[in-house]
Amino acid sequence: MHGSVEHSWGWGHSAPSPLLLLTLFLFAAPFGLLGETTRQVSLEVIPNWLGPVQNLLHIRAVGTNSTLHYIWSSLGPLAVVLVATNTPHSTLSVNWSRLLSPEPDGGLMVFPKDSIQFSSALVFTRLLEFDSTNVSDTAAKPPGTPYPPYSLADFSWNNITDSLDPATLSATFQGHPMNDPTRTFANGSLAFRVQAFSRSSRPAQPPRLLHTADTCQLEVALVGASPRGNRSLFGLEVATLGQGPDCPSVQEQHSIDDEYAPAVFQLDQLLWGSLPSGFAQWRPVAYSQKPGGRESALPCQASPLHPALAYPLPQSPIVRAFFGSQNNFCAFNVTFGASTGPGYWDQHYLSWSMLLGVGFPPVDGLSPLVLGIMAVALGAPGLMLLVGGLVLLLYHKKYSEYQSIN
Amino acid sequence: MEEEDEEARALLAGGPDEADRGAPAAPGALPALCDPSRLAHRLLVLLLMCFLGFGSYFCYDNPAALQTQVKRDMQVNTTKFMLLYAWYSWPNVVLCFFGGFLIDRVFGIRWGTIIFSCFVCIGQVVFALGGIFNVFWLMEFGRFVFGIGGESLAVAQNTYAVSWFKGKELNLVFGLQLSMARIGSTVNMNLMGWLYSKIEALLGSAGHTTLGITLMIGGITCILSLICALALAYLDQRAERILHKEQGKTGEVIKLTDVKDFSLPLWLIFIICVCYYVAVFPFIGLGKVFFTEKFGFSSQAASAINSVVYVISAPMSPVFGLLVDKTGKNILWVLCAVAATLVSHMMLAFTMWNPWIAMCLLGLSYSLLACALWPMVAFVVPEHQLGTAYGFMQSIQNLGLAIISIIAGMILDSRGYLFLEVFFIACVSLSLLSVVLLYLVNRAQGGNLNYSARQREEIKFSHTE
Repeated sequence: MHGSVEHSWGWGHSAPSPLLLLTLFLFAAPFGLLGETTRQVSLEVIPNWLGPVQNLLHIRAVGTNSTLHYIWSSLGPLAVVLVATNTPHSTLSVNWSRLLSPEPDGGLMVFPKDSIQFSSALVFTRLLEFDSTNVSDTAAKPPGTPYPPYSLADFSWNNITDSLDPATLSATFQGHPMNDPTRTFANGSLAFRVQAFSRSSRPAQPPRLLHTADTCQLEVALVGASPRGNRSLFGLEVATLGQGPDCPSVQEQHSIDDEYAPAVFQLDQLLWGSLPSGFAQWRPVAYSQKPGGRESALPCQASPLHPALAYPLPQSPIVRAFFGSQNNFCAFNVTFGASTGPGYWDQHYLSWSMLLGVGFPPVDGLSPLVLGIMAVALGAPGLMLLVGGLVLLLYHKKYSEYQSIN
Repeated sequence: MEEEDEEARALLAGGPDEADRGAPAAPGALPALCDPSRLAHRLLVLLLMCFLGFGSYFCYDNPAALQTQVKRDMQVNTTKFMLLYAWYSWPNVVLCFFGGFLIDRVFGIRWGTIIFSCFVCIGQVVFALGGIFNVFWLMEFGRFVFGIGGESLAVAQNTYAVSWFKGKELNLVFGLQLSMARIGSTVNMNLMGWLYSKIEALLGSAGHTTLGITLMIGGITCILSLICALALAYLDQRAERILHKEQGKTGEVIKLTDVKDFSLPLWLIFIICVCYYVAVFPFIGLGKVFFTEKFGFSSQAASAINSVVYVISAPMSPVFGLLVDKTGKNILWVLCAVAATLVSHMMLAFTMWNPWIAMCLLGLSYSLLACALWPMVAFVVPEHQLGTAYGFMQSIQNLGLAIISIIAGMILDSRGYLFLEVFFIACVSLSLLSVVLLYLVNRAQGGNLNYSARQREEIKFSHTE
């Protein structure tokens, strides 16, 4: 999980299109926190002086006139609270005694309160597993017979301080079930690698999502856990806060460009309201090998968001601490792989990435190399025809003049 | 299946003759079907000739039809997958020069055809065994052996056609053979995926064994072709005995030293040829997954659209052939074909428009190009160098296909389909550049490449005068 995420090299990098920058600029004025190209990012593990070690990671990304706070914690199920403020001076305050109490409301606050422009949360509630042996239809929902899921609220996690890397602005939550009677996780772990960015770039590893200073990347990796069937498919249940009575929607964007994730022509986006607001973005692809490549690419399916009423979701104290108890949650599942093709069973490895951010989601443009080749490819024959035609025309004219005199 | 019945009938018809091999033939008493001088008999021979090439064309595109299955079951990436095509092309870089020589001087047309058919059969069987034993290099070796037979078999097929139909229905026969080849490719594209799923259901699981068995069953078409080769050899020998007809010869004279005399227009034609075909065949080889991933096609629909180039080519090749014959102006037709291909690739790369439009356009332009480009060689080369020129053209075409197949696989693995399409666009564009250059050179040199049919007639007339 400590694979370095390098900054993209040379021409692989692609900036957002000018039109997008313009719209960003126009919208930035009222919203006050968008379009920051660089940010000062700091990662801080907030210690609990009162009792046992708790993982509470505060990522603070400060721009010229805005601050983004990502608060990640493995208190309860793994969760992140995302807060965007329109001042570079906003701060996070944590009341540990309240946060650890059964009523954690108000245990987490961002000041000044009126600077908050947007806030939401994601809670990774359960790791799902399906038996896909007798499923021939790859688009079937669910993708097989479900095994009992692993609740991430019942995981024990490593000490986040150990995995904090200020150089890459990343930290990794690595966990396994506390009660593991069948010892499926004896040699395995589920890891969430969180990385923030101070500027726009693109990682070297597929799916190479373009990130900006307004985003934070999450890379989920399941490594070494024994599957409970020969053809086990894994999935992740994710819960989020609904804005009002409705659930946010997952948009599937089709694009012509698969340069950064070969043969993947789709980008999925979860939008919390009309743009610009918060978003989560991912390519519907996971990888069964490290480093990921086309031969190990697994298709991903995201279910639509639905109100989480069917069963009581594991509660995240930090979400409750920031948002209070009166919230309606929505949940969706992302499942990785299909019954045929490569799968987790190949190498007992699975990785999937998503971006979390505020503002307009990053948009891929055609890379300069593609544009350059196209310009030459289309320009050269045209130019040749033009020049050659002119030369011939002049030559012909001279020739015919000569003939007419004759 | 109907064709197979016809096939069986044809063989049965040949059966009784087999019985009285020893008896002296009595030409006057033979029924029309058995009389080599009658049309009915020639049609029987034509049917055999068409099926002679069916097997090799059917099996050539087996990897394209089973792309996902091959990659999954053999656990190879696209680069290695495309080696299956490259290995087919490698032997033909050399054999294009010697195929004709082997037929004329070494084996003779009959044995040559049988031997090349055997290579095709053995190649396909080895290819399938590679699947059954899960050994990828064996599959590659199978394709290599298959390649040795494949292209030379096409030369043999043409030689038979000339020997039986010269001065009669020759152009029609060439057209029909080409159509049959395209039908073979089309049937393959649409049948193999289905066959694989049936075998999978039968065996209970997918895997390299399923793949191998599917390919082995596909190899039956090669056996059919071999049977056709044997029947043809018999009928040809019989015709020689009855009609005192000479054994067919390719008449190709290859002199590699001629290469230094090749003119600039000929080299430009070579470049057009290579750059054009490398943007068509490797694309079709990789196309199926493109249509499922980018346009969300089902596997069957993707197979269908991937074979549409061949489907269109089957009926349109004779039509365009006639058109180019009647109008002349070859360079302009080539220009149209290459430009249309460029547009088609750009549509596939940069739009989400229904790919049927682009693929139909590609099919049309591919057929047009074949009809307009290949005859041009005859205009710029003296007749005694024609064999060398065509051999050279096929050779570098195969070299181009082998190299570009590998590169295409690598590009796809590392940079995806958009970049691959851009690469193909660059190839077609180079081809277009060469066409423009050819036009200019031809104009400047006062060449005859772009004459209309009437001008050609006039020149011919004035020459005979």
